[in-house]
Amino acid sequence: MFFKKNKKKETSSMANGEDTRKLDKRELIDEAEDLINTIDSVSGDERIEVLNRIGSLYFEANKIDDAIKYYEISISENKSLGKAYTELVKLYNIKRKEAISKKDDESMKQYMEKIDRLLQLSKDVIRGRG
Amino acid sequence: MVIVNFIIKNILTQASITIALISLIGLILQKKKVGEIISGTFKTLLGFLVLSAGSGIIVQSLIYFGKIFTKGFGLQGIVPSIEAINGQAMNNLHLGNEIALTFLAIFIVNIIIARFTKWKYIFLTGQAILWMATMTTVFGKFAGLSGAPLVIVGGIVGGIFAVAMPAIAQPIVRKITGSDDIALGHFCTIGYIFAAGVSKLVGDKTKSTEDIQLPKGFEFLQDTYLSVGLVMIPLYIVTALFAGAKFGSQLSGNVNYVVYAFLQGVQFIVGVYVLLAGVRLLLAEIVPAFRGIALKVVPDAKPALDCPVLFPYAPNAVTIGFVGTTIGSVIAMFVLPMFGLAMILPGMLTNFFAGGTAGVFANAAGGRRGAIISTIAHGFFITLLPALLVISFNKMGFINATATDVDTVTAALLYAWIITPILKAL
Repeated sequence: MFFKKNKKKETSSMANGEDTRKLDKRELIDEAEDLINTIDSVSGDERIEVLNRIGSLYFEANKIDDAIKYYEISISENKSLGKAYTELVKLYNIKRKEAISKKDDESMKQYMEKIDRLLQLSKDVIRGRG
Repeated sequence: MVIVNFIIKNILTQASITIALISLIGLILQKKKVGEIISGTFKTLLGFLVLSAGSGIIVQSLIYFGKIFTKGFGLQGIVPSIEAINGQAMNNLHLGNEIALTFLAIFIVNIIIARFTKWKYIFLTGQAILWMATMTTVFGKFAGLSGAPLVIVGGIVGGIFAVAMPAIAQPIVRKITGSDDIALGHFCTIGYIFAAGVSKLVGDKTKSTEDIQLPKGFEFLQDTYLSVGLVMIPLYIVTALFAGAKFGSQLSGNVNYVVYAFLQGVQFIVGVYVLLAGVRLLLAEIVPAFRGIALKVVPDAKPALDCPVLFPYAPNAVTIGFVGTTIGSVIAMFVLPMFGLAMILPGMLTNFFAGGTAGVFANAAGGRRGAIISTIAHGFFITLLPALLVISFNKMGFINATATDVDTVTAALLYAWIITPILKAL
């Protein structure tokens, strides 16, 4: 009984928040797209910051593939253990779970291998090989 | 019947064949192509034999080291190396077959627990499972178990550890990562919890290790073998000098005794190199095969990953953890013999991986002050536990080595202190 009550509450609060969330999502994507236009005009640390910001905006907007794309560019240009790394672990894990629910063995394997590569990167960077 | 007997006696008792067959099953279950199945199975077989060759080299080097250490210092010097324990268990004690089957049993018990309980952890660090299988097999054998009961008990104990260790680490992992998606799969967890506990008592959470400037990277640890060499080669040379020219020359033949000590130190590293190359080859096919199966059988699994997954959350804490743990292990090296325990030499690789991770845990629990103090305590702790095992290892015929990863050591102590007395009483 208690479960039912809680569920109802949850659903109604979700319905109320749905519109604002859609709106937020659009805003997040717009901001990310604006930043994408600026990527080529910045370099060095600033560029990495922009790339990470784009990744973060897409992640917040639940655009997982886009978030992965920009974080991967960030980490390939700057092998460090910052936000790009920690967010990629989460994103790969989300993709792995998705692949399992779709029974897509190849994708699951692919994302587990990507996680393996991140672990190796972590070892290398800490040891000064990054 | 003759054929069946031949297969049982000559093929299934060969550890390399057993483990290759396990790999074969994993690859077939994954519906791989015939070519991939053949090459994967062959690589596993090859990996096991390379591992055995590496262990042979390590043992030769350790026999020499044991002799000069006893002569030079009047003490038994023990090298903490789980690789050496695994190699000796497989080669000298001929437990390779049981270890291979226990490895599989741990995987299966882990999947069963994760499938049917609320603890959804799937332990994905294959190497750590191999070390756990080694310890449960060695100590199970010592407790008087053999055959199927040895493998089943090992599988249950190892399987419970594979779920319990990520589970007890998870509250702190959650704090470190800010999410509940991933878990830690590293059999040094009891040490991490110990470090976090001490850190909580003595620390101050408001001041993080990450607010200070520390030099980045450990250049000398860039290469695994270089870092092992930096400790082992001087150790061999100094020990040979203490043992003296007269004794040293008896072992070195025509070669100068110091040069011989240097070369034996290098031989130890060669052994570790070959053994780990074998382990990599051995696990390269098995782990992906079985993790694929595990993650399918337990769809809502929480993957328990190797310890470097936590390094990016607090890189400074990793540095502090490594240095603190090394200091603690050096203190323990001198203090433990005063209490009648063996002298355990510091293991730099364990200090780096386990020490670094302990630093991250300690920082989460008690900030920078906690991290500094508790990782020194951690170094002492992870040296004390293996020291307690030395007597058992000596009785079993192991040569100058003890295990490193504290969870596997705890499993071994569980066998030595609880399972063995119960079995002997029955």
